Amino acid sequence: MIKRSFFALTRPRLGYDMPEPDPKEPKAIPVPSNLILLLHDPLDDARETFIKKGDKVEKGGKLHLYKDSKEYTISPVAGTIKIIDTYSDDFGNTSTYLVINTDQGLTAGTDDVQYELKDTIASADEYLRTLPGAPPLKTLADPDIKIDTIVITCADPDLLSTTHQYMALKFMDGIKEGIGVLKRITNVRKFCITVPENLNIKDEIDLAQVFRTSMIYPANLPQMILKDHLNMVLPAGKTPEDMGICFMSAEAVVSLARAYKTKAACHEKVLTIIGKQGTPYRVTAVIGTPLRRIFNAFSIHVNDHDRLVIGGPMKGFSTYTVHHPVQPDTDTVIVQDRDNIPELSDNPCVNCGKCVRICPAHIPVNILVRYLEAGLYQDAADRYDLLSCIECGLCAYVCTARIPIYQYIRLGKHELLKLNADA
Amino acid sequence: MNNNKLIVSHAPFWHDGDSLFTLNLNLMIAALPAVIFGLVQFGMPALGVLALSLSSAMVWEYVITLLSGKKASIHDLDSAVIGLFLGMMLPATAPWWLVITGTFLAVVIGKIIFGGIGANPFNPTLIGMAILALSWTTLLDFDAAYVNYDFDFTALVPLAAVKAKGALAVSDLFPLNDLMMGKQVGAIGTTFGLGLVIGGIYLILRGFVRWEIPVSFIIGIVFTALCFNLANPDKYAGPMIHLFSGYTLFGAFFLAPENSSSPVNRIPMLIFGFCAGLIILLMRNIGVYEDGTVLGILLLNLVNPLIDTIRPKALGKGVNHA
Repeated sequence: MIKRSFFALTRPRLGYDMPEPDPKEPKAIPVPSNLILLLHDPLDDARETFIKKGDKVEKGGKLHLYKDSKEYTISPVAGTIKIIDTYSDDFGNTSTYLVINTDQGLTAGTDDVQYELKDTIASADEYLRTLPGAPPLKTLADPDIKIDTIVITCADPDLLSTTHQYMALKFMDGIKEGIGVLKRITNVRKFCITVPENLNIKDEIDLAQVFRTSMIYPANLPQMILKDHLNMVLPAGKTPEDMGICFMSAEAVVSLARAYKTKAACHEKVLTIIGKQGTPYRVTAVIGTPLRRIFNAFSIHVNDHDRLVIGGPMKGFSTYTVHHPVQPDTDTVIVQDRDNIPELSDNPCVNCGKCVRICPAHIPVNILVRYLEAGLYQDAADRYDLLSCIECGLCAYVCTARIPIYQYIRLGKHELLKLNADA
Repeated sequence: MNNNKLIVSHAPFWHDGDSLFTLNLNLMIAALPAVIFGLVQFGMPALGVLALSLSSAMVWEYVITLLSGKKASIHDLDSAVIGLFLGMMLPATAPWWLVITGTFLAVVIGKIIFGGIGANPFNPTLIGMAILALSWTTLLDFDAAYVNYDFDFTALVPLAAVKAKGALAVSDLFPLNDLMMGKQVGAIGTTFGLGLVIGGIYLILRGFVRWEIPVSFIIGIVFTALCFNLANPDKYAGPMIHLFSGYTLFGAFFLAPENSSSPVNRIPMLIFGFCAGLIILLMRNIGVYEDGTVLGILLLNLVNPLIDTIRPKALGKGVNHA
């Protein structure tokens, strides 16, 4: 954890981490006997599911919860479905998790199911949504969203993570190939690629416009890239997709290229694991691997009252179980020791203004948080710029009163969406 | 299967380590040079006043939170800071009941009835001081307070002397060196100019006080004093007397930047500090009070919410669809 410096005349600067100059091969985690897959489709007790407990699944086989489900997941192994149950995330959204009992012999012996991939975005969206890196194919295939620019991120958006940078160092050819595939299957003509300014990429990148991004957080967040490199200010409350810009991780592009080459899905996700002492480990694990397996491989002991953070320290989320699976978009997992968990408080804001000075979006956080505490979400949005927030988490990081400001902001946005949906 | 009980909370999972405790502790540490000098200069009575002031402020807060059934909050040291600062602004001869009344006014009237820490629209210390000064003028007359003391420097309150006799008549009585090194009559913790400046610079460097407020405050004092002085040098004292006497430096580094009652945006902070300095000088030179620091800062606390609306436009606000 980066603490404030003794002298703090200027605002704190949080630097992004870099991978080692010549990264070693990641440690491969063996395919575990039980895999957990998440399906973004809530379980409905009244309906009969399409997949059932005890069903056999193929390696690379597509799994739908219901016959008419739009959401699907791909099984990375051959085996049997053991459990189908409801999973709820930190905002109470429900989805479904499947536990698949791996048939080790069959998984090792057989090849992936071959897909009939055509050179259209719809065809890619039909099979490749859950590739490692989670390519945003659903957005690209949506006829209602007009995307004209794809930004490929070789710069990790959050701190500590080096997964995207590792992909850029090792698989630049794959990225170029992936851009080729994207050019073939989409109508997008403008491709940009973000590369941290200190990252030494030897290859020439001529297929896309290169943005050398700053090493200081939050320069790699989508809104900051739009502002700094595309000279575009995102209107409050809009997403980059509304502006026709789609962000895609380097890993997603590489896996897309691989999938088109082999006509089959790949399942190995690259992750950065940060141990309790802050030691980074790089691993590849099959999507669905419970995190406990990875910790065991590095003898990381997770005890009571420790915290497991998925994603970075500023924007990630914490999970309540060591069985949480590796997901297509899981780039970083941090294990925080109970002694290193900073305490939060219910103190009111003391108006010290540190949040206001660090906010990259110039939001009057000191006033905003008072409105949010009082539950006045509409006023907060209208008068105190709730929707301009780019969700970098810096305000809560510096808060002297230790108010969970970022949580209030996320909650405020969430409640506001609900309010507007009901209206 | 082991099922650990993990801590689940919202991002961010890091914190820079600051807390109200460290903030207030550092405010008190920064006040130490001036406090120690005051103890040496004014002796045991000063220690008595400071100890009573600090402790009674904490007791008031504790009693009120107990009575109102709220969670005890004295461990954040906020009332300790209020008590210490109030004690520093009193003469060493202040009677015990005055000190206790002062801390009651500061902590309870100045802070708790507005909703506690962070909710006070005025600087609590100044609320306490203002009521004391208006109610017991004679007890806070520093000329009268130290009649039994034997000082090796001019035993006159500089600002009162300037006001009574004019700047020219007292020009030789208060050399700048003496004022800076604390050789002047005044409150326990506010006479040692150099110590206050050192404490203030410590706070600014460590980021506990925003530099804009003290700097613009001092500019406000110096600029206004200079204007008056140039207009009538016989009557109005020069900027250095104003800067190094009275509560000026204590106000600049410790009172005006009080978090809850001062602005947070840059331009408002500059306006706030400058106007506070300006008002104080107007009170000293034109008004009836010798030292307008207390009321001057309170007045600016009043307009703080208004000037703090001058702020930069948030990202993406007022942008039309491209």
